Amino acid sequence: MATREAGKKMIMLKSPDGMEFEVEEAVAMESQTIRKMIEDDCADTAILIPNINSKILSRVIEYCNKHVPTTGATGAAASDTVAPAALAEDLKIWDAEFIKVNRATRFDLIQAASYLNIKGLLDLTSQTTIDTISDNSLEEIRSFLSTKNDYLPEEEQTIRRENQWAFQ
Amino acid sequence: MAADAAAAGPRRWRCEEEEQQPHRLSAAAAADDRFDGLPDPLLLLIFNRIGDVKALGRCALVSRRFRALVPLVDSVLVRVDCVIPDDPASSGSPSSSAPSFPTATASARARGVFSQIARMLIGGIVKPIQALGQILSHAGSASASLSSFRRSASSSLSSSSASAPPGDVSHHSPSEVLRSFKELRVSLRIELPAGELGMDDGVLLKWKADFGSTLGSCVILGAASASATKDGTTAAPPPAAADCAESDDSGSIPESFYTNGGLKLRVLWTISSLIAASARHYLLQPIIADHALLESLDLTDADGQGVLTMDKWQLQELRVRPVSASGDSHRTLMPALSMRLWYAPHIELPGGTVLNGATLVAIKPSEEAMMDAVGNATAGSAGGSWVSDAFEEPYRTAVGVLLKRRMYSLEMNSF
Repeated sequence: MATREAGKKMIMLKSPDGMEFEVEEAVAMESQTIRKMIEDDCADTAILIPNINSKILSRVIEYCNKHVPTTGATGAAASDTVAPAALAEDLKIWDAEFIKVNRATRFDLIQAASYLNIKGLLDLTSQTTIDTISDNSLEEIRSFLSTKNDYLPEEEQTIRRENQWAFQ
Repeated sequence: MAADAAAAGPRRWRCEEEEQQPHRLSAAAAADDRFDGLPDPLLLLIFNRIGDVKALGRCALVSRRFRALVPLVDSVLVRVDCVIPDDPASSGSPSSSAPSFPTATASARARGVFSQIARMLIGGIVKPIQALGQILSHAGSASASLSSFRRSASSSLSSSSASAPPGDVSHHSPSEVLRSFKELRVSLRIELPAGELGMDDGVLLKWKADFGSTLGSCVILGAASASATKDGTTAAPPPAAADCAESDDSGSIPESFYTNGGLKLRVLWTISSLIAASARHYLLQPIIADHALLESLDLTDADGQGVLTMDKWQLQELRVRPVSASGDSHRTLMPALSMRLWYAPHIELPGGTVLNGATLVAIKPSEEAMMDAVGNATAGSAGGSWVSDAFEEPYRTAVGVLLKRRMYSLEMNSF
């Protein structure tokens, strides 16, 4: 990691399991939730991020670090030389690599993205789930989401009949 | 199966207990059951992103929790998958729906085309709605017919693979499908399988209209031909298109436009689009009545031909002030209209598409247009953002180019 230039404000993010992450303010502000805290002056030196463990938080920060130069103003200098289209392509490949995680991690990331309100990360992490729900049979959806069918057989029949239009 | 049924008994009781203490349970389940561990708002957030009503309808069958959450989504997309041709005998007399347009010849030619368009569209969605109405109205007097309907529905379900002929697939109206989403709050989009106006190859026609109780505004973009040039190779103005023979830079319509049918064609496009829009609007009434909390409603088509939008206030207006039908046809009465027309013989769009004989028409009810004119007489380009922002790129660029050209005004009677 390159040495930070003077003048770049740093923010400390703390996970509930005691880890601390020092990040540039611009990176942290990729999260609308943190942005709001900073703008409302609720952030002193460190912000505790509840419910997000250090493993997930570090991945979220990794994502924000990668995505900040294209959207934020502060880190723009480095990307000025690269054509926007190539940059977008590069980011897409990076995203695809980033999301190659197991299911549990992905759901944790969805949860984190939702809590921290990072739209790009939420889009990225929830797309597979959306596709699965949209394109697969009930059994496949249940198994993907490890959800149990808690209907009585006759109940299921009734609802299936009511929602018959969904199965044509 | 039998073992399943037996096991389901105690499971059910457990579920009811769970419902009383959802938080404790979801926390306990989180360890081995990740998705069930996601809090409801997050699951709902994923459902909202799904949109498609069929996927949501299937979701309800995954588990009780899913079923409880699905009706709470704030955005639904309904794709109408089939259009049923209407019985020709039952359609209204064409003359009643024919617009009274000053140009006699255009009007005469239009009539045949339009009655067909209206029939196609109405056949598309109204027919299933009517069928549903028949079932319901029969229910009171003859309960036999209802039970027979039920029986046939369930039998076709159980033996779906074998005997049922393809025509036996029951059709569901959007209202029926949306019955589970009574509380739908934010946005509903319905997509028709295709635009209702049959166009010749290469002809471009797009419209966007917004409605309250009647037309609020309509923007139409048409081109005699839209062709893709190989990336950016600047094609010379093609000689083929008859109505762009002499392109002068004054932005005026060339003389030939009036004589070679160019104008007549534009009038036809305009009226066709307005009829399609008003027929779509008419169809939406029962759906709007059923969803009192709806804040935005779009009716689009898979071809990207027409977009009808209604915002929160327009939906409210319609609930307060009912629609007037045009004669005995199934479409909303158009008020007297004030139209502005721009024309460009040749426009090259970013991305390489070339429009020949491009035409932009911006329409408002005459009353409103009058008030606008008084209100902002100084505004040079008569089109506000409702015109320039009507379409997405690359067509937005085309609109921008057209707006810089000379503007022509037309008036049209109510129809």
